[in-house]
Amino acid sequence: MVKRKTVAPLTPAVLHILLALSIKERHGYGIMKQVGSDSQGKVKMGPGTLYGSIRRMIDTGLIRQSDKSIDPEMDDERRVYYRITGLGQKALAAELQRYREVVAVARQKQISPGTFAYGL
Amino acid sequence: MAYERPIRRLRRGYAGLLRLYPKRYRERFGEPMEQTFNDLLRERVEKGTGIFGFALWMFVETFTGAMRENVRIIVQNKTLVRIALATAFILFLPLVAMQFTDEVAWDPADFVAAGILLFGAGLTYEFIAKKAGSFAYRAAVGVAVAAALLLVWMNLAVGIIGNAGNPANLMYVGVLTVGSIGAVVARFKPRGMARALVATALAQALVAVIATVNGSGSTIVVTGFFVALWLVSAWLFQKSAAETPRRV
Repeated sequence: MVKRKTVAPLTPAVLHILLALSIKERHGYGIMKQVGSDSQGKVKMGPGTLYGSIRRMIDTGLIRQSDKSIDPEMDDERRVYYRITGLGQKALAAELQRYREVVAVARQKQISPGTFAYGL
Repeated sequence: MAYERPIRRLRRGYAGLLRLYPKRYRERFGEPMEQTFNDLLRERVEKGTGIFGFALWMFVETFTGAMRENVRIIVQNKTLVRIALATAFILFLPLVAMQFTDEVAWDPADFVAAGILLFGAGLTYEFIAKKAGSFAYRAAVGVAVAAALLLVWMNLAVGIIGNAGNPANLMYVGVLTVGSIGAVVARFKPRGMARALVATALAQALVAVIATVNGSGSTIVVTGFFVALWLVSAWLFQKSAAETPRRV
């Protein structure tokens, strides 16, 4: 059953997976590498979290599974690829818009990353 | 290559760990998860960084994921609700009895303990019995879980050796530990489970022998009852194993 819950904020894992898939389809290991690179190593997920998120995202229609194919940059094993759907693109855009709005509010209040550096 | 053998073992271990996932999930994601694990290991080896700490983290992370998926399936199937209702119904009986007789006198802590035991037993049954379609396997799990529940319940209520406060009763924790470790080592496969249950029966008998030798009290009848339950469960597991073809 596909549930449509695009309005709800995304979890960090789902956001990063959508970001990783926004440019091209990837297999599980490829997603992990891209998430690591996008987050500069701050977001670490193992196969348990990654595939748990992938399962939820497929069930909610944010991504879908492509056919198995060989990654030319790796060995000759056939891998399952995942790609973002139209719904996933909309959810990602909505989430990024939320982030922009939060940053705008923070700017308005003149809060920068260093504001609370010394504590209150 | 120095890492070759340990890597093979880690891969086998990881493939075994994936069996903890619900069947449908495993069919969808088992192979890609294994591939991803292998890719990550290969990356670590190529970089020359340690693999064991990393593999341990992945095992823990994947184990947590498997538990999460199992809980999700249980909740989705409304099984959790059914177990909760059955627990509430059983707890309702002493509550009603207390209104009519002084023979039953449970305090809130008794209800909480009994609730946790019953609910835990129901969940354990669901978690393990779900792994096989055969009636013999499910019956074997049912008998083993019921025996474990009874053993704990009797110990908490009156104590099997002497009274409930007798420290010799702690030996029964060992009996349940033998069964639990055996089940995990057997990865819940029927043949291994049968052996684990026989070991549990032996542990139960051993406790009776120790109690008799120490002069803590004779528990022959109760021990015979529990040994019989463990052995019936072992027999049912063996029956289920006979129905399941061996993997070549």
